[in-house]
Amino acid sequence: MPPFAGSKPISNGFHHNSNSNIITLDVGGQIFQTTKQTLSLAGSKSILSNISNSDHVIPFIDRDPEIFSILLSLLRTGNLPSKAKAFNIQDLVFESQYYGIENLLINSQSNPAQFDAFNLEKSSVLPLSGRDAPSAVSTTPYGSVHVAHGSKITSFDWSLQRKCTILTQFTAIDSLLALSPNMAAAGATDFSGLQIVDLDKGFVKETLNWENVTKSGSTVQAIGASHEHLFTSFESSRRNSNCIMVYDLNDSLRPVTKIGHYEIFGADLDSAIPSTKLQWISSHNLLMASGSHSGPFGVSGNIKLWDIRSDNVVWEIKEKVDCFADVTASNELYSMFKVGVSTGELFFADLRYMDSDKSWICLGDGRKVVNGKKEGYGCTIESHGNQVFCSKGGNIELWSEVMLGSLEKKENSLPERVFRKNLMGRVKDMGGSRINDFVFGGNKMFIARKDQQSVEVWSPVRVF
Amino acid sequence: MDDQDSNPTTTTVGGGRIKLNVGGKLFETTVSTLRSGGPDSLLSALSNRPVHDPVFIDRDPEIFTILLSLLRTTRLPSTAKRFSNQELIDESLYFGIESQLRSALAPSRLSGIDTSLSTTVKPSSDGDVSDFHAIDSDGSLWVAHGGQVSVYDWNLSHTATVRTHLDFITSMKRIRPEIAAVGSLHGSGLHFYNMANGRRVNSAEWVDPSDVRIYKARVHAIADSENSVFASYECQHGENCVIMIDKSTMRISSEIGRMSGNSAKNMVPTKLTYVSDIGVLVASSVTSGAFGYSGYIRLWDPRTQDMVWETNEPGSGRSSRFGDSFADTDVDLDELSLFKVCSKSGDLAMADLRKLSDDPWFYLKEKNPSMRNVGGSGGSNFVMHCYRKQVFVGREGELEVWSRVEGNENEGIVNEEMYRRNYVDKVEDSERGIIKKIEGGGDRLFVTRENVEGIEVWQSSYNSGVVSVL
Repeated sequence: MPPFAGSKPISNGFHHNSNSNIITLDVGGQIFQTTKQTLSLAGSKSILSNISNSDHVIPFIDRDPEIFSILLSLLRTGNLPSKAKAFNIQDLVFESQYYGIENLLINSQSNPAQFDAFNLEKSSVLPLSGRDAPSAVSTTPYGSVHVAHGSKITSFDWSLQRKCTILTQFTAIDSLLALSPNMAAAGATDFSGLQIVDLDKGFVKETLNWENVTKSGSTVQAIGASHEHLFTSFESSRRNSNCIMVYDLNDSLRPVTKIGHYEIFGADLDSAIPSTKLQWISSHNLLMASGSHSGPFGVSGNIKLWDIRSDNVVWEIKEKVDCFADVTASNELYSMFKVGVSTGELFFADLRYMDSDKSWICLGDGRKVVNGKKEGYGCTIESHGNQVFCSKGGNIELWSEVMLGSLEKKENSLPERVFRKNLMGRVKDMGGSRINDFVFGGNKMFIARKDQQSVEVWSPVRVF
Repeated sequence: MDDQDSNPTTTTVGGGRIKLNVGGKLFETTVSTLRSGGPDSLLSALSNRPVHDPVFIDRDPEIFTILLSLLRTTRLPSTAKRFSNQELIDESLYFGIESQLRSALAPSRLSGIDTSLSTTVKPSSDGDVSDFHAIDSDGSLWVAHGGQVSVYDWNLSHTATVRTHLDFITSMKRIRPEIAAVGSLHGSGLHFYNMANGRRVNSAEWVDPSDVRIYKARVHAIADSENSVFASYECQHGENCVIMIDKSTMRISSEIGRMSGNSAKNMVPTKLTYVSDIGVLVASSVTSGAFGYSGYIRLWDPRTQDMVWETNEPGSGRSSRFGDSFADTDVDLDELSLFKVCSKSGDLAMADLRKLSDDPWFYLKEKNPSMRNVGGSGGSNFVMHCYRKQVFVGREGELEVWSRVEGNENEGIVNEEMYRRNYVDKVEDSERGIIKKIEGGGDRLFVTRENVEGIEVWQSSYNSGVVSVL
């Protein structure tokens, strides 16, 4: 039903021709003029796109004219005018939902295409109730944030408005993956099953389990996702077998296949290290699965690239010396990056030369003596866009590839690919307690720190 | 968005458009929007006028913009923060749309895992609150402090204070919309004060001409049902009972459970709760001495003055819990369950009020690893309160909540893992002082602390989210 309540003949003073493109609107007593093209940008579902001046009447909309003028600017330019600052973003969200143009607002305010790592500053915090520090943070592409703290999950929408806090059956949530703004997959290393949680209603929609041979429970070590599939690394509660289950995201989480099923026989523990990180490499259609464990002779682990259709390992890197503390793959850079647990240095491996003998190339001090210290302990590494982010203590290093013109290149002067780092943030934002987790969503970065009951938000620097 | 089309302000097309001139600013809206404020409002009266020229209203246009937004969308825009709640309320009273504003300002449903301190209500004199009563229907607050009773309305703004003849009120309850029942451990009787005019309406003393020991009985606890008030009285030498008083006549109608008060098993009840769903009065008493806590919980049927069930601690219940007497109890009126907190271990136990037996207790299991070392550390200042199907427990200064996991697979089956424990507060909150009383009302949680002035108001954080640090 159109919201135009009543109508009146067009008054004089407004030039009007029924064939013209100009549309005259009366919103809450103020007259607006715009074009059919502008209004059609709102999309067919919007009430604005159905407005026309057909019968020589001005359509009337009983809403606040001031906010409408802001939303009309958004329609015209795709950006919010500076006078929008007089209003809270929630007002704009609510009003844009009324007009059916919230997606335009999201595109202007939380667009992942606008992410620029060189232009981020610590801008705000998302406070969490209670005393549990966040254990896992996950985001949707447009910047809705789900935060697991203790046995609770708190959810924020793309405008960072708190939506809900729900209680789960876990005592502590170790892995969390946002499936949609109101759905998340959660798992714990001490509780059986992967739970698909509906955050709006606060109940468990589905529990996914792996039926292992020993008939014991299956704990979740890692969760990952591609556009089509949800990957979950399960370990049996007896810790003697593990596998990666693949579920169909578009077909009500039907189990598709099972890859990398290992069982421990005898004392060879290295034979079955469960994967603690799963990442889909869309440029190669491969799943990166990595896991490590520390034993009496230091940390050892492995990184496997799986072809999930054939259940084959395409490339495996065994990590004996300076094993990774964390590892990530970058689609845009065709590379994998790791931070070494002993040296704390960054390494990269080019995915285009998978078979080469020396896979890792050190980006820092390659001759650092491995002296038994664990300088890389607790470091995490993530790739986003064509950059790699590595947290060390309370800081984040930003690694970017330097594009060298081939003309300048001389032999042996520089390696083939050059990466350089810088620390993120201004001096006042550096340091702080150790970073547990950081993720990217929309045009923002979110950081969870040890012992802090909040999530830090880094957003683009605004010019006023 | 499709669901927005069913917005009440837009579906009624019957009404035409109407122009208003408020303080010189022109507004245009529809008759149906104006009428959504209710048939008795000024705006709905204006909407019946014939539409020729704009109706002039001599009020501030800026506040009217906000109120018109409220009528159109049923929510307050952020620009409302430019005005105090009181200004908005006054203006909405003028336009007759106070109920709309009330529902927009009301806190969202109290969820203990998502609650933060929103404000502190401080009486201007004798700020150390001795007792208070939160009214669940609208979240208003009646406060006893020193010899005064103060009333704070749903917006927690002060509306009335009455000085009573008592020097120090220790128990207070609102028993009728304008009547407060007050009692004191330092003066005899239960007294009814009319808060509208400040007069004492009536008093109820416990006297027994046949027993000379019954004199100067003091009130320890008050509860009320729909028609009656229950108060526990204790005389100088321990004789005690619960007196039932008719609400309409304010006269004593019967006496329940007279006891001699010569041992812990027959001390005066220090907490009374009336459970209207099953028509029983829960009376409990806790005494602490050199050898720890002892006490009892008794259920009375007020109609017959018979005892329905009782438990005495220490002494009854599971042998493994022997000696771990409860420190406080409360009744969850929604779920009809009885909760207690143990004085030594700090554990929480639950009993179904409909299935009470010799040992009805389920001891709730602690599953949160970060809270395993909490409680039972010798500190024994426990208070508890059940509200909105959650149990709030104060341990010394710490405020925690036990809440149920939604969508549990074994729904309906009582077990020891039904409830999860979480902190409500932050560490710095707990350092303000020992929690004395917790009570919920109108989706607000009110907390008082020992020797701290005022009442803390905790609300579920609606409209919260990002906090700028730039």
